[in-house]
Amino acid sequence: MAEQMPTLVRIERRESDFHLTYDNEEEFSVTYHDLRHACPCANCSPLRNEDETSLKLREQVESFKLHKPSVNPVGHYALNFIWQNGCSNGIFRFERIWALANRRDPDNGKPYVHGAW
Amino acid sequence: MAESPITTHDPKNEEQGPVAPSPQQKKEMEQNYAQMKRKMSMQEIGMKIKHKIMVLSGKGGVGKSTVSTGLALSLAQQGHKVGILDIDITGPNVPKMMGLDGHKLHVEQGRIHPAKGHLGVKVISMAFLLEDPDTPVVWRGPIKLGAIQQFIGDVEWGNLDYLIIDFPPGTSDEPLTVSQSLPNIDGMVIVTTPQSVALLDSRKSITFAESLKVPVLGVVENMSGYTINGVTAANSSVEIAGPGGKTIKSTSDENGNFSVTLDIFKKGGGKSTAEDFGVPFLGALPFDPGFVRGGDDGVHKIVSDPEGASSIAFSAIVKAVQAQISDKPASSLEII
Repeated sequence: MAEQMPTLVRIERRESDFHLTYDNEEEFSVTYHDLRHACPCANCSPLRNEDETSLKLREQVESFKLHKPSVNPVGHYALNFIWQNGCSNGIFRFERIWALANRRDPDNGKPYVHGAW
Repeated sequence: MAESPITTHDPKNEEQGPVAPSPQQKKEMEQNYAQMKRKMSMQEIGMKIKHKIMVLSGKGGVGKSTVSTGLALSLAQQGHKVGILDIDITGPNVPKMMGLDGHKLHVEQGRIHPAKGHLGVKVISMAFLLEDPDTPVVWRGPIKLGAIQQFIGDVEWGNLDYLIIDFPPGTSDEPLTVSQSLPNIDGMVIVTTPQSVALLDSRKSITFAESLKVPVLGVVENMSGYTINGVTAANSSVEIAGPGGKTIKSTSDENGNFSVTLDIFKKGGGKSTAEDFGVPFLGALPFDPGFVRGGDDGVHKIVSDPEGASSIAFSAIVKAVQAQISDKPASSLEII
């Protein structure tokens, strides 16, 4: 990977977004809606392949009442967010969170094809 | 068998009192009761086993069982209590590699007692239940599911530090069933070889792990390179025709010893796949014909040559796995 990603050192759960602080002192915010729409699980990912289903996914995540999720580290490489409703399956690698923080497509424009089902 | 205590009660007919269930109802109730008992047992087993590690590969023939047994033996060498659950129902190989070929399981009061292989590693495998090793197991999904749940819920593992679960290749029923039956799985180790086909399938395995919500502990690259050692004149250059006719050069030392590593299935693919997916790379294992001989003879290379290059490589991989599942916080990440 060409880009050297800084280490995420702090996550603050605010009313409607995360405030992220990296070890190079850069700070970002990622809304809960953006994060949930970018869920990498096998149920949510294929929905982002088509504009129409992606929009429906967006509408669905925006319909959920905003609340602070639980945040659980996964191994040493990812985080899992537990929500009171909707999907909590996604394991978000730090690279994915970094892409969202930088307003980049975390799927790198690639459709989801490697589903288990 | 003692008469079943199961009766049914019809609320519409209060005067009638309890009614004996039909044989069909009774059978269903007994099955549900057995299933409930098994589920409770699986929860209890989950508590007695500190760490549960799944070993998968997208493609067959990459050395998954070799890695599973190697991890188990390397952990046992560290003094841990270790078990291996060979979930590869249609092609169980672990018993042969653990010197337990032909072993039969001991069943007492409805509980299955695992066999003990090298270094005290406990082993459960479908191979123990086959009358004839040449007989194929042809089971559809639901029967496999039942067998797997039985292997988890009805086995008397005792207290274990690590349970290594060896799966058949691919992303099918087995890992799904295990991840849903056994609580608190630490994660998956994905085994690959460096060639493109294996790497493509490994990438599926990584995505599969995410779908199952099981962390990927990392990728192991097996058959990473074959090292040839030789002796020639001191301080002289050596040329060997490698794969594809490529010339590989080396120079002998002052005693005339030289070594050349042939990257038979290419090199570094496991590491680049791990990097692409942002999961840890646990290490590379050399192409070692000793694994084949050891597997056939039932004496794993780690047991026969505990100081050898392969044992050292396994030890490094085990340390990398342990770093991933350590109880310490993932990093200095502050979550508020």
